[in-house]
Amino acid sequence: MSGTLASDILAAARLRPAAVALAGMPGEDADVSYGELAALAERTERTLDTLFAGGRGPRGHRPLALVAAKTPASIALILACLSAGRPLLLLSPDLGEDTTATLVRRAGAQALATVDGGRLAWTTLPDGAESGPAVPEGTRLVLTTSGSTGVPKLVPLTAGALDAFTAWAGEFLGLDTESRVLNHAPLNFDLCLLDIWATLRHGGRVLLVDPARAAEPAYLARWVRLGRPHVVQGVPLLFRLLAEAGARLRGDAVRHVLLTGDHVPRQVRRQLPELFPHARLHNVYGCTETNDSMVHGFDGAEAADGEVLPLGEPVPGTRIAVLDGEHEVTGPGSGELLVSTPFQTPGYLAEPAASDRFRERDGHIWYRTGDLVERGADGRIRLVGRTDFQVKVRGVRVNVEEVERVLTDRPEVAEAAVVALPDPEAGVALHAFVRTSGAEVTGLQLRTLCAARLNRVAIPSRFHLMAGPLPVGPTGKVDRRRLQEHVT
Amino acid sequence: MSLNQEITRHIVDEYLPGTPPEELADSYDLLRNGVVSSLQLLRLIAWLGNHYDVPFDELDVTPDDFRSVAAIVGLIDRHRRSLGTSSIPAN
Repeated sequence: MSGTLASDILAAARLRPAAVALAGMPGEDADVSYGELAALAERTERTLDTLFAGGRGPRGHRPLALVAAKTPASIALILACLSAGRPLLLLSPDLGEDTTATLVRRAGAQALATVDGGRLAWTTLPDGAESGPAVPEGTRLVLTTSGSTGVPKLVPLTAGALDAFTAWAGEFLGLDTESRVLNHAPLNFDLCLLDIWATLRHGGRVLLVDPARAAEPAYLARWVRLGRPHVVQGVPLLFRLLAEAGARLRGDAVRHVLLTGDHVPRQVRRQLPELFPHARLHNVYGCTETNDSMVHGFDGAEAADGEVLPLGEPVPGTRIAVLDGEHEVTGPGSGELLVSTPFQTPGYLAEPAASDRFRERDGHIWYRTGDLVERGADGRIRLVGRTDFQVKVRGVRVNVEEVERVLTDRPEVAEAAVVALPDPEAGVALHAFVRTSGAEVTGLQLRTLCAARLNRVAIPSRFHLMAGPLPVGPTGKVDRRRLQEHVT
Repeated sequence: MSLNQEITRHIVDEYLPGTPPEELADSYDLLRNGVVSSLQLLRLIAWLGNHYDVPFDELDVTPDDFRSVAAIVGLIDRHRRSLGTSSIPAN
């Protein structure tokens, strides 16, 4: 590995053309070798040159856009764009038509690709006056935030950021040509920069989980059993599903387990050592805007005992700061976490209202994460919750995620979400939505449990016991808006 | 219905919808467990005062007197005894 992300992958293909790059489920889906992937990418690059010879303005190409179905054709297009220096917007296939159209317009994309029967189909887009601002210099990929409200924001990532991130990930996980890495996340997610792109850059094998079956415990367990990955990265949902599959898993080849995206309940965490007996466990903190920023390695004992895992050490080259208003918290205390990483975006595209998320301090651009953290007396930083999840109940600040944690810490509770809803008497009342793990538990018992561990105002006014799983959005996080519909 | 049952039923209906009345123990701490907030306590006291004809505002009561169903029943009983009436239902 000595060049850039794209040049290293193409070099790996020349060196070991027969090696498997993208593995399908053994016995079901075909593998794609490095030679095949490179050939497909080169053909795609020639097609792009033919179709989109124009559109290269003074500041470079207008972006292309891809509805990122997880197929070899999509991955080859991404590789082709990386190699040719064409910016590419990756869109979730689950976005509605209107949102897709809005994002494509905001990014100023010149054409939109969809995968049809394994091949790319192109729709050329008008070069209207509304065709968005030029992407920043050096942009290769444009990802989107996964916010559950409103239109996602566009997050451009430069070649330098992608090169730096995939190099760090390779070193951190010891990726090489023998590595097998499970890719559970959808192709448009930032997690793929590690699962797929860092792996390919180091000549390893990516085990592609079919997004349509990504929530089936038996299918996922089969992938782990037959694919024998060394690295498994995912959101809490993945580990909950794997824990459900339990003994069928046989994850003894796994060396690194990366928990990302959210607080993983202790109930799920405590099963990890048994599922992955030889793995180092990592709590990874990051977001689309900055990519992985902090990592906390932990062992089985801490997985079972630690109430909230620390965010860990900043990855090399990353700076962190805790700010309470304008005041930097250097000792114990709490505030919003700011990070500055070598992997971060230069800023959102076409989001002037959100430009305050990025601010310059000490000659660096920092990203305001919106995450509320607490630095303990031990110097360790722990996530308290989103600043957005902070609500005022009867004049007292309550973080609803803290309440959820108290609930999900109990074996009787499979899932819990706490939402602040308007209340005619109190102004705002907390409602807890709880799915039990089959055990008999009543709302009154849950209330007693909360009372033992929470400030009185943080005890939910209402406990709703739910029969089925809580509704989730595309990242596996609970969809709070849909929950509210249960209260009338 | 006994006084205990009546008050339990009211508290469950108003503040713990969905909970079977028999699950709410007489000794359950309504304040510490957040069943009744300080704001709601005023509403509960008003209801008790109207329903059982107790002039709470003239009595020397503290939130502790309303901490549980048992405490509330004791308070009403004491008040009735002081007036020479009984809470024992005539069933």
